[in-house]
Amino acid sequence: MQKNITMKKFLFITIISVSAVLLYSSCSKGYLNPTPQNTVQQNDSIYTDPKGALKFLTAGYINLLQWNESSFSWLGLTSITSDDADKGSDPGDLGGDKDQMDAITYSATTGSVAEGWTGNYNGVSNCNQAILNIGLYANLSPDTKARYIAEAKFLRAYYYFNLVRMFGDVPLVDTVLNSENTDDVVKASTRVPQADIYAFIEKDLNEAVSVLPTNDAQPASERGHATKGAAAGLLAKVSLYEKKWQQAFDLSQGIMQGKYGTYGLVDDYSTIWREIGENSKESLFEIQSRIGVPDAGVQQYTAVQGIRAATFKKVGVSGTVSAYSGWGFNVPSEDLDKAYEPGDKRKKATIIHIGDTLFDGVIVASAANPRYNYKAYVSVFDETYDGDGDNTNKNVRLLRMGDIVLINAEAANESGNSAQAVSSLNLIRKRAGLAPTTATGQAGLRTAIWKERRVELAMECDRFFDLIRQGRAAEVLTALGKKFTKGKNEHFPVPQVEIDATDGKLTQNPGYN
Amino acid sequence: MKKILTFFVLIVALPCLGITQQIYNGRVTDSITGEPIVSASITLLNTGKGAISDSAGQFSIQGNPGDQLSVSSIGYSGATLRLGDQTTLRVLLHGAAGNLDEVVIIGYGTARRSQVVGSVAKVDGKEIAQRPVLSAAQAIQGKVPGVQITSSGAPGSQPQVRVRGVGSVLGDANPIYVVDGVITDDITNINNNDIASVQVLKDASAQAIYGSRAGKGVVIIATKGGQSGKMRLSFNAYTGFKTPTSTVKMADASTYAAFTNAARAYDGVAPAFDLDSIGATTNWFDEITHKGLIQNYGLNISGGSEKVTYYFGGSVFKDQGIIPGQDYTRAAFRINNEYKVAPFFKLGNNLNISVNNMNNKPTEFDDAYRMAPTVPVRFADGSYGYTDLLNVGNPVAKLDLTHDRSNQLRLQGNVFAELKPVDGLTLRSSFNFDYHNHNQKVYVPQYFIWSSMKNDISSLTQNNDNSFYYIIDNNATYNKTFGGLHEINATLGYSAERKRDNDWMGSIQNVPADPSRWYLHQGENNVNASSGGAVLTRASAYSRVIYTYDRKYIFNGSLRRDGSSSFPTENQYGTFYSVGGAWVISEENFMKDQQVFNSLKLRAGYGKVGNDITISNLRILNELSLPDKFYDFGGPDNAPQMGQTFDEIKDAAVSWETTKGTDIGLEFALLQNRLSGDISYYNKVTSAYIPVTVPSTFGDKDKIVYSQAADVRNKGVEFDLNWQASAGKDFKYHLGFNMTFNTNVVDHVDGTLQLKGGSLGNGEIVTYTVEGQPIGSFWVLQTDGIYKSQEQIDQSAHIQGAQPGDFKYVDQDQNGLIDDKDRIFAGSYQPKFYYGINGGFNWKNLDFSFDLYGNSGNKIYNGKKAVRLGNDQIEADRVRDMWSVDNPGGTQPRASNAIPKPSTYFVESGNFLRVNNITLGYTIPNTDRWHIQSLRVFASADNPLIWKKYSGYTPELPGDALNSGIELKIYPVTATYMLGVNVGF
Repeated sequence: MQKNITMKKFLFITIISVSAVLLYSSCSKGYLNPTPQNTVQQNDSIYTDPKGALKFLTAGYINLLQWNESSFSWLGLTSITSDDADKGSDPGDLGGDKDQMDAITYSATTGSVAEGWTGNYNGVSNCNQAILNIGLYANLSPDTKARYIAEAKFLRAYYYFNLVRMFGDVPLVDTVLNSENTDDVVKASTRVPQADIYAFIEKDLNEAVSVLPTNDAQPASERGHATKGAAAGLLAKVSLYEKKWQQAFDLSQGIMQGKYGTYGLVDDYSTIWREIGENSKESLFEIQSRIGVPDAGVQQYTAVQGIRAATFKKVGVSGTVSAYSGWGFNVPSEDLDKAYEPGDKRKKATIIHIGDTLFDGVIVASAANPRYNYKAYVSVFDETYDGDGDNTNKNVRLLRMGDIVLINAEAANESGNSAQAVSSLNLIRKRAGLAPTTATGQAGLRTAIWKERRVELAMECDRFFDLIRQGRAAEVLTALGKKFTKGKNEHFPVPQVEIDATDGKLTQNPGYN
Repeated sequence: MKKILTFFVLIVALPCLGITQQIYNGRVTDSITGEPIVSASITLLNTGKGAISDSAGQFSIQGNPGDQLSVSSIGYSGATLRLGDQTTLRVLLHGAAGNLDEVVIIGYGTARRSQVVGSVAKVDGKEIAQRPVLSAAQAIQGKVPGVQITSSGAPGSQPQVRVRGVGSVLGDANPIYVVDGVITDDITNINNNDIASVQVLKDASAQAIYGSRAGKGVVIIATKGGQSGKMRLSFNAYTGFKTPTSTVKMADASTYAAFTNAARAYDGVAPAFDLDSIGATTNWFDEITHKGLIQNYGLNISGGSEKVTYYFGGSVFKDQGIIPGQDYTRAAFRINNEYKVAPFFKLGNNLNISVNNMNNKPTEFDDAYRMAPTVPVRFADGSYGYTDLLNVGNPVAKLDLTHDRSNQLRLQGNVFAELKPVDGLTLRSSFNFDYHNHNQKVYVPQYFIWSSMKNDISSLTQNNDNSFYYIIDNNATYNKTFGGLHEINATLGYSAERKRDNDWMGSIQNVPADPSRWYLHQGENNVNASSGGAVLTRASAYSRVIYTYDRKYIFNGSLRRDGSSSFPTENQYGTFYSVGGAWVISEENFMKDQQVFNSLKLRAGYGKVGNDITISNLRILNELSLPDKFYDFGGPDNAPQMGQTFDEIKDAAVSWETTKGTDIGLEFALLQNRLSGDISYYNKVTSAYIPVTVPSTFGDKDKIVYSQAADVRNKGVEFDLNWQASAGKDFKYHLGFNMTFNTNVVDHVDGTLQLKGGSLGNGEIVTYTVEGQPIGSFWVLQTDGIYKSQEQIDQSAHIQGAQPGDFKYVDQDQNGLIDDKDRIFAGSYQPKFYYGINGGFNWKNLDFSFDLYGNSGNKIYNGKKAVRLGNDQIEADRVRDMWSVDNPGGTQPRASNAIPKPSTYFVESGNFLRVNNITLGYTIPNTDRWHIQSLRVFASADNPLIWKKYSGYTPELPGDALNSGIELKIYPVTATYMLGVNVGF
């Protein structure tokens, strides 16, 4: 019994003291604040290694690869809406809302519209983060720092150019916002006039033009980074939208004369969108898409446009073969098919028809739709392909010389320099295998240049904005049965989800309420 | 009352042995028939230590004279007796369910039923083991009011459990399971035969002791232990097969072809079929289902001496489901031991080892529903059938081409020490742990069926996830009665919890098809590897006092303070509590002379509980985010560049998701305990996290910040009635009915939040959660017949492309347009009431039982029917009375390939009544000659029948709150037919 009591005491004390120790350790602050795993928090130490600065900049580029930025909704907003393309796929397969994009019956709750807004503001935010954070790297050489910031500004300008073309007046977010700060909340939910947005874009681009290196000065290892030529070219295009003809002319002329780097039209139009045409002298800026691991491809850009439900054959192969196929959206329209002049080489380089033999020998024996976008075609035989149809090697050409030369022609024509306009226009026509233009007079040339823009840049997400810029969207699109309302559809509706998220402080565009 | 008790409980004294710690041997029998009561639970009230009576009704337990011993069994009125000098006990229980003295596990302790102030339901292990299901959660379906169980038939899956409605908007709204002190959300590792009892803590006053973890309910699972005495062996086995409970009648090939041609004609597209040359019909549902085997074998060994008790359980469970090629096998071993080191000190362990192997197959029920019946499984040349009319893969090929295998090891259990330094005080210290290691290997072969069903390159993915979780728990319980009137039962304790998660995955392409070469080393290109990990900690202090005065008046108070690493440092702590009282009316003097009530108790409680696991990782506010994609600078000669940015906004004020609620209940037994039951009212509000959308301009990647910005209320009435009686000596029967009426309503949502959900996967969404409606309400257009002519279309608001024969939708706002503003709320998946009916009888050696479960007042969205890609298969009913030019009086819509608009047409009644189980058993008499104590054989049918209005495969559709009740590709509940045997040695 005595032994029992001693043991009892001993156990009692042991348990109490072990408990007390555990109680102490579990109540200490550290216990409930374990080191976060697999993550980094913002603190000064992240700014010591200058490689981090490039990572912040890269986030601005990576946004170009995202679904919301460059893929399905972007094709819906800028191409399926236009007279160049139809929804495609099966009649019952709406791709969310691509039927509404095609018919121009979208509303503020249409998903593609919301994705377009979000995709570009995510880009703006990544650029603002890059500009702020790159500035905090003390060990980064001033030149590199300036170049990175200039690249981020180029990208920010690109995102704002998309936003202003889509929505008109938009909030101008030029810094990293804090959702707890009242001024920032106002900034995030107040639309500013598009003239101010354009001014901001110009400011960013002018800075980029002055800081960035030319493509000649850019080492091969940095290919894909924005260059002086890219910034000048985008500014030329922006000027066109602002009807700043002289500025557009000067910039495009400068590019054509080699002032901003070495550029020119490639001889064979059909190679522009193929892998062999990547980052050619034609290209001022293109989204670098890379197949494989890690994922560095434009998210399903080619998959959504791939040939649907097809049977393929191949020259020299008996039976059917497996070739690149996809969902079959954003297909060239019959109207585009008919827009080419006889003998225009660009038609067969832009549109795949059933029965065509493609550059790699693949024959499209049958498919769900009559036409597909050749510029989004990936060859599984002759191009880099590893079986991943979603993130292919297809670079998306955002700005190329064909566009610059026609900007030059249009700016020249609008400034009364018709000789230069004709000369530039004929450069383009010559490559297409067409005779020099017969158009004369400012108005005649204007029509000819606009028509040339359509076929030169067909399926390159330029047409819808171009029609609006030219002021004839309603006329052209309603003739095809689309429900384009003048005074309304020049802009997309501000997404309802964004209006709701600001408690109604963001205003709606006219006609969408 | 005491008189009655003494009438029912008889203790026959025998000469005593006269030492303090001694073994009491006893036998529990039915007070009327004298039959032994098997599996009665015998518990020492001051320690909670228990024993179970064997097939002869016998038990033995160690105790001290003066200890209170409680004996209870399902269907019997419990009894409490004070141990004396007699070591042989005879306990007679009277058949009834009104058992105020039944021992109930209430979390960190036990109490008599009469002392429980909260709503606690108990299901005996025997009832759970009776059903051929993987987890105990499934087995309690229909048995407990206030607990809604919704399951799929997928092998290896655990059902969705909702305790008194759904409060959380986001994430998993399932309760926590406490298995012998281990808190977990997955009990598929526990063999049902090892379970002694399951208790569900339903209201805040019962749950508050689990404070921070209790917001969604608490299910306590106690596993079996050994008893002192001779070794007992039992062997339980069943085997049977599974088959679909109900199917949907689909169109035959020619009906489908005619419909498809007609639909195409409306779109101006050429016919797809020559109606004169339609071949055989393929029934795709039949092609992807078969009769799968289900088997379970279990062996239990238990026993013990004065110093040591042991329980061993070993079992193998195998379920092939109804999809060919699929199977799930689990082996589980349990070792529950107790070691009495000294009379005042014991050590023990409860350990469970489980291993499972799974061959996963995709649920192809949506593809099988949609695939054209004109397509053969295989063409004449042996290749898989397809049609380019329809972008649906061959479902059989998909099953054949899926190679997805996983296995898991799980070790779960605890070790504990219990010390009784002075009379009435127990100190308990335990270390509870749960480890799992899960491996999966998925091989995708290279194949080409046609251009929309192909894989250009083979790939192999291997992944692993593992975790180690522990709770260190220390508590003190003081239980003593003063002056015969004042009983104190107080608990004070604290716990520290930590969970470490790890995972990794690797994948590679171009791996040979030979399964022996399915290793990452065998692949050629595109190596991808990643890993992750997380740590979660909690620290809690808890306390509870139950004060009982004269067994009549009970006060219960709980207080718990919790800290969690889920939240920012400033908001880590939360306080949870409950207060409640009960009045045992039947103990009052004025009740002494009445003959109606054998027991009557009124209880009421209020409390606050919480939840911290809805959203993970809210603590770190300024996290650097690494985009999934890289960027290609410098072409193929340079490695892609990684990015980093800040794009995650978090709510710095986040803290516990809390639920506050009231519970009032009346428990009763009357007519000589033949009728017993309880009725409860509850009302609770959850301050729920919801995804608050922030403007894109702030740069948040997914535009979502999680905040507590909605209040969800669940209120209702539930009752449970049980009737038990006998007719003659050989015939006993029982009948039970329980029912729950629940109203789920969103009380409040901050600002202009748009809680839309219920995506059908084709761009359409069908639910909307707003104030004043149940959570996840269906939000659709209202149909108003069909257009019979173009004039009718022109004269009304219509959607673009409407043709005669299409639905007319009601223009609710009368603005001439059919758009989202015309959508109406058309009910939700939350049932208005659900109920269980069970009963059975014993006649001589025969036993029979049945068990039904029903659900009413909810709606289902027939999602699979509402998604059409174009040229899809149709249900046979679709063409009945279908409008066409030739049938202008038709009331059903024309043949069409258009994507259907979300409308009331697809909202169907969710009412159903299902036979959960019917079992017929026969106990073979006189088995002693084979040295077998008891031998029972049985035949059982599980889910054999369902009465439902819903036209789909199953009305049981687990899903999270915003998306529940939409049938897309759910694995339907299956019927099981089986034979089994229970042997006791």
